[in-house]
Amino acid sequence: MDITEVISITKPQSSSQYNNIDESNDDSDIEMGESSAGGASAGIVTPGELITEDPIWMKGHGTYFLNDSTYSSVAGSVSRVNRLLSVIPLRGRYSPETGDHIVGRITEVANKRWKVDIGTRQDAVLMLGSVNLPGGILRRKSESDELQMRNFLKEGDLLNCEVQTIFSNGIASLHTRSLKYGKLRNGIFLKVPSSLIVKSKNHAYDLPGSVSVILGSNGYIWLHKTLANTSTTTTVNQNAAKIQGRDYAPGQGSISITRLEEESSWEIYSDQNDPNITSSTRSNISRYYNVIKALAYGELGITEQRVILGYEASLAYSNIGSLIDRESMEQICQEVLNSEKMRG
Amino acid sequence: MTLLSPAERSYLRDSLTASPIIRPDSRTPHQFRPIEAKTSFLSSSNGSARVRLIDGSECIVSVKAKVVDLASVSNLVEVDIDVDSFRDDSNFVTNLKFHILNSLANFPSTVLKLTTKYGYKLFIDVIVTSHSSYPLTLISLATYLALKTARLPKLVSEVNDEEIAEQPTFADDWAESTLIQDLLDAPFQPPVLITLGIIGNNIIFDPSIEEEQIIDNSLVIGFYNGRVITPINTISLSSISNGVNSIVLVKALELGNKYGGMVVKALDTLIEQDIDDENIF
Repeated sequence: MDITEVISITKPQSSSQYNNIDESNDDSDIEMGESSAGGASAGIVTPGELITEDPIWMKGHGTYFLNDSTYSSVAGSVSRVNRLLSVIPLRGRYSPETGDHIVGRITEVANKRWKVDIGTRQDAVLMLGSVNLPGGILRRKSESDELQMRNFLKEGDLLNCEVQTIFSNGIASLHTRSLKYGKLRNGIFLKVPSSLIVKSKNHAYDLPGSVSVILGSNGYIWLHKTLANTSTTTTVNQNAAKIQGRDYAPGQGSISITRLEEESSWEIYSDQNDPNITSSTRSNISRYYNVIKALAYGELGITEQRVILGYEASLAYSNIGSLIDRESMEQICQEVLNSEKMRG
Repeated sequence: MTLLSPAERSYLRDSLTASPIIRPDSRTPHQFRPIEAKTSFLSSSNGSARVRLIDGSECIVSVKAKVVDLASVSNLVEVDIDVDSFRDDSNFVTNLKFHILNSLANFPSTVLKLTTKYGYKLFIDVIVTSHSSYPLTLISLATYLALKTARLPKLVSEVNDEEIAEQPTFADDWAESTLIQDLLDAPFQPPVLITLGIIGNNIIFDPSIEEEQIIDNSLVIGFYNGRVITPINTISLSSISNGVNSIVLVKALELGNKYGGMVVKALDTLIEQDIDDENIF
């Protein structure tokens, strides 16, 4: 039996090997830099580096002003918007923006709100008024709801949500006022640096192998089993079938809609996993987990296409456990880049 | 420590109790996380090793020898552990120290005696700069590497000081220093401690932080001289702590016997590589 199947102990890699990878994914870095800097990026600066001696520039985030000169306070790319000069850090905590689809974890249940860890400097808040409660959208929040907040979401729970606003003190306010948001089940969670997530229109994808992924803009990722169909559509259909089966009385349909919604709504806060997650789905989830870790290791921006390409490349490894080795991770990154080049 | 949600817990539990076991990072049950290691990198200590995991967990061990009056010290091996963000007198650090010191209980201390009056005292200093899961295995592997590569300077003065008092003096030439291995007749093998997680009837090696939170119990087993040795301890890494079924315990020992040798072999291979590299320069 091979030792590497039990443990692999290697010498630390030299920096030259590491640079090779960096060179090969240069194009992706530039692409990301441009998208985040609004097309006005001008090279990379390090902390303390002089950006300009011209005092007409306004100092923005990531800069400081000393003796009429502007210096960078972080390592990142310079962005110039009109007269505003700022440096967008390469690494660092996630800075939320309104409309971001993110994954968060409840850290605290407070007065009429939940505190949520989303990887920012300060925990975000999710107001009781910004969630869908059992009983439909039109229901008002009552005192009894305040008392049973832990029945909806409690400490440790994962949820996917959207940034609603950013308060003036920098705290993000979240909402889950859509059927695609809510508590997360049937899968596993992993974290990557938030700078690797490429912002796009959609952040929830169905992948091959009956696995779905939510690539939160904050670098929090949820891999889960693809649901057969969303519960809402079935609710409406079941309801429609009922109405057709019986004599229709005015108001009857709408009442049953509310009640059904009431019953089904509790499901969105359930902690129960789907009992029928097959072992093949589970191992596919693990495979995607390793693929995303490998992409993060190679500092590649994580997109739906790359995750799928990585998954296809990983199929060459019959023993998925070997995917956590450094060489395998580099190999996966290389193959993803190669197949991207071939597809153009 | 991050808390898992109930849904995550039950998903992980179902995956780990399933047969075959599906670990979140798809390791096989007996697979360790890949390790990067380097030995003899601290020039001011007799032996040193640095071990890190890909997630950034890192442990640095230094072995220093000091000549002491044998009558004035009770033990010739001392271990000191420093874990980032933990107080030195905290339970966590004390337990780690206990495990490491305990595993070195059968250290061949006769090799440390220079004369009847003087001997070396080994100071094993461990720093865990960062860790996510329980760092015991990491510390143990680093200690193994540091001890195996520790070099002691050559004694040039007389060994016999029974009649005439003799201060030990040493050769200036570091090339003449010897490994602890060379001073012994038998091969020198410090024990390696392996953390095993028990979940249901399944056993997993080297549990990660997520796995630690849902496993029923954990075992620390020592591996020495080709087989599992006592003490075998249970430790609780999470709030859950169930008893250990005797059948599972036997299975754990079997697996330990089967795979422990591989770990030692991998460590020895790395030491050889490092020694070869040094010889080039």
